[in-house]
Amino acid sequence: MLILSRKSGESIVIDGRIHVKIVRVEGDVVKIGIEAPAEVPVHRREVYEEIQHSNQQALTRQCTALPKLPLTATVKPKRETAKSV
Amino acid sequence: MTSANVIECEEPEVAEAIPCCEVRMPAGLLGFEHMKDYLLIAKPGEAPFRWLQVKNNPALAFVVIEPLYFMPDYQPDIPEADVELLELTSPDDAAVYVIVTVAGPHRATVNLKGPIVINRNTGVGKQVVIVNAAQYSVQQPLPLNGNAG
Repeated sequence: MLILSRKSGESIVIDGRIHVKIVRVEGDVVKIGIEAPAEVPVHRREVYEEIQHSNQQALTRQCTALPKLPLTATVKPKRETAKSV
Repeated sequence: MTSANVIECEEPEVAEAIPCCEVRMPAGLLGFEHMKDYLLIAKPGEAPFRWLQVKNNPALAFVVIEPLYFMPDYQPDIPEADVELLELTSPDDAAVYVIVTVAGPHRATVNLKGPIVINRNTGVGKQVVIVNAAQYSVQQPLPLNGNAG
């Protein structure tokens, strides 16, 4: 792991396009500003790992028998999703 | 191939009768960033569940459901950057699905922290980490028939 020392207000640049700035240091909390292209997802690690784990658990084969969901009301989606093939 | 832990089943046939649409997710799903092209499939008798199947691999799929079927008051706060990325101009543009983990015939959970948001007009989608993720569970039990807990 690369470890750099930075002061408040200083930045690092990753791959020439991702800027990570130390905005403020308050006690043991560091506020970080991240500028990245829209297609680069940025997540808090613990939330990312929680959802990643959930996705891995959910991955299944299509032979899985689905449970029955009691439909309380006649709920209908407003429109069909996305464009049809 | 055969072992006690492998569930044998027939490969799903490519059935023209099954309504489906293509969904392109440039960022993939969290943990599956390399898989970007999916089919959203509604099979007869399985509503309101649908399948989000990896386009080139019918063996890889996720069960998804629109939250309005079990939690009409679900209000995911979609980050502004994702709204722009998906080119959503109004709430009606967005189809929202959550991923279901099926643990058995009477137990299933949904991930409410990371819904899949799809632009209905473009077919482009993304699994977003909602701003108000702290309000919701990644393992919310679905209210199922015969739920034995």
